[in-house]
Amino acid sequence: MKKSMRRTAFAASLVLAATGVVGISLPIAHAADVSLTMVAADYPGDGKTQQAQWDAVSKAFAAANPGITMTVNVVSWDVIDDKVKTLIATGKTPDIVNKGDYSAPAAAGLLYKASEMVSASTLADIIPTFLNNSMYNGTAYAVPDLASARALFYNKAILKKAGVTKLPTTWKELLTVLSKIKAKNPGVYGYAVPMGPEEAQAEFSIWAGGNGGRLYDYTAKKWTVNSAANVEAMAFLKKMNDLKYIEPNPAKCDRTVCAQTLFAAGKAAFINGSVFLPGWLKDNGGAGIDLGSGSFVHNDGQEAVTLGVQDYFTAYKANGHQAEIQKFMDFLYKPANYAAFLKAAGGFIPATKSAGVEAAKDPALAPFIALLPHAIFYPGDIATWPAVKGALQQSVGLAVTGNPSKVLGDIQKKALAAK
Amino acid sequence: MATGSIRRGRFGALPWIGPAVVLILVMVVWPAIEMIRTSFHEIDQTGIAKGWNGITNYKNLIHNPDLPQTVVRTVIWVSVVVVVTVLVSLPVAQILHGKFPGRKAVRFAIIVPWAASVVMTAIIWRWMLDGFYGILNRILQDLGILKEPVDWLGNPNQAFIFLMVVAIFVSVPFTTYVILAGLTTIPDDILEASAIDGANGWKRYKEIIFPLLRPALLVSAVINLINVFNSFPIIWAMTGGGPGYSTDTTTTLAYKISFRDQDIGQSAAMATVNFIVILIFISIFLKVSKWRETSS
Repeated sequence: MKKSMRRTAFAASLVLAATGVVGISLPIAHAADVSLTMVAADYPGDGKTQQAQWDAVSKAFAAANPGITMTVNVVSWDVIDDKVKTLIATGKTPDIVNKGDYSAPAAAGLLYKASEMVSASTLADIIPTFLNNSMYNGTAYAVPDLASARALFYNKAILKKAGVTKLPTTWKELLTVLSKIKAKNPGVYGYAVPMGPEEAQAEFSIWAGGNGGRLYDYTAKKWTVNSAANVEAMAFLKKMNDLKYIEPNPAKCDRTVCAQTLFAAGKAAFINGSVFLPGWLKDNGGAGIDLGSGSFVHNDGQEAVTLGVQDYFTAYKANGHQAEIQKFMDFLYKPANYAAFLKAAGGFIPATKSAGVEAAKDPALAPFIALLPHAIFYPGDIATWPAVKGALQQSVGLAVTGNPSKVLGDIQKKALAAK
Repeated sequence: MATGSIRRGRFGALPWIGPAVVLILVMVVWPAIEMIRTSFHEIDQTGIAKGWNGITNYKNLIHNPDLPQTVVRTVIWVSVVVVVTVLVSLPVAQILHGKFPGRKAVRFAIIVPWAASVVMTAIIWRWMLDGFYGILNRILQDLGILKEPVDWLGNPNQAFIFLMVVAIFVSVPFTTYVILAGLTTIPDDILEASAIDGANGWKRYKEIIFPLLRPALLVSAVINLINVFNSFPIIWAMTGGGPGYSTDTTTTLAYKISFRDQDIGQSAAMATVNFIVILIFISIFLKVSKWRETSS
């Protein structure tokens, strides 16, 4: 009796434990319904998360399409790559992802083509330049969601105090200007250089680009992280560092909490800023900054460049929801819904022709749209870009305080070894 | 008959330990097996397994340029933090063992760093040490000790020292309490007898108390060894292992190999090596606690 009771108790405890652990993952959806899932990066917007906007779109979509439900999980930029990778590795691949790269899953054959993700009419509305940046081996595997370009922002009051009347255009002129700023504005850093992990690849690309340097050579089909031009650009930054024209420890200075915060506090004269910088400053204590913007500086004999950054929607084949994904994407790109998405994201350059016409009239966006033809983009269509981006974010800032040629050489080794 | 009752005795415990066993199998053993399995597979950068590839991941790990300095740093990290923690905890436990007014409040205060979330503690320290807004700079400047603010976590060596300070700060409470527990087990009659024999003060501590504390010391040292070696949040929240790789230990390096260099296979190899080190620590712990059982 006692024995059998023990056995029953044992079995019961096992069952309890098993349901406790496994029960969560049991599917409870109705057979006929399709549940779409999406993981989306959180754009800066107006300081609030975009979850509310995505929930509203999902709800409207579900109401218009009975039998399909949509769940969007908004994730912050610094963890979204890890999150998506973990989901895929654990067999919980989402249907749609909205983030900054696409080439690795495209190369692995995980993605629907852009032409399968959206209808022909939606695809025709995407601005061709952006669609061209969404290719892998000649086929578009991602649909651009929005874009931004960078400009050189400056604090007018600091420049005025230093007696600077003309914006620098070359590296040499920049050094002169920065020495004046340093002399007249104690406690102010001339140029905020965010080379911390958050976005070191952007700052690097801009400085290297101003010296004619690129990350990838499309003719030779090879990474060129430690090209002579790139090393020279980092050596120039090192010089600015040695002269104390930039903030201390740039390798640790992240874009948001370090560089932009210094700029908002009036402690930095120049900064690389995106379209959303003016709005961000207003919400983060920099409302009083008298803001000016212009082109980035370049080395003698080179041209001024800007960095164009675009992000993407990608759709994964894992769950076989192609028809439903297309319905949702077409719904999202309807002008009213797309405008709501852009608004919640916080004033970026639209990726569709129809929205682009309106945006060109916006005085805040027009200068950036004008810069786009001179923009260099990340080599986002190369499959190993995520690994190279990771290596850059981790280490490239050390080139500014250490040995540029060695630091870039080490990253180049990693780039060549990446598979 | 005899064997039957033993069997029933073992079986009888199962209803109670059953759920825990299942939990351990699902939450600990299975992930560990998966991790070891992954370390022998090729995983592409999107997270898809491409099949068995032998010891390639381990070969890549050995040739990883960031590994040697990280291993050296991990050894320094573990040994300094554990040794200093014990050295600090010994006198603190001694003080708490004495009778004085407000002892309860002090004992409670000592628990706080232990009870608080480690991530929270680390983030607060990061802001205290911040180069632009940190309170430490403010204080040192107001006292006239510093002329210019210092970015305490910007210089690799300095940053690493502060990481160790924080690790010691959160390890001291637990260690103190283990030693305190050890102190309370020392019988009064031994202390009285030693006093009669003329052993007082330092001599009494060195000859009587300290030797009797050895079991508690060893247990707390080994548990700290495991905790400190595995410590991810302090380093991650305060420096992210940076600048570059200059404050990484093998634990944070495993994360970076996976999510910065996009190489899950090699990361699993690193994690498996870490796992083996932990197993060695645990076997030391088991030996030590066994030794304690037989000696007491």
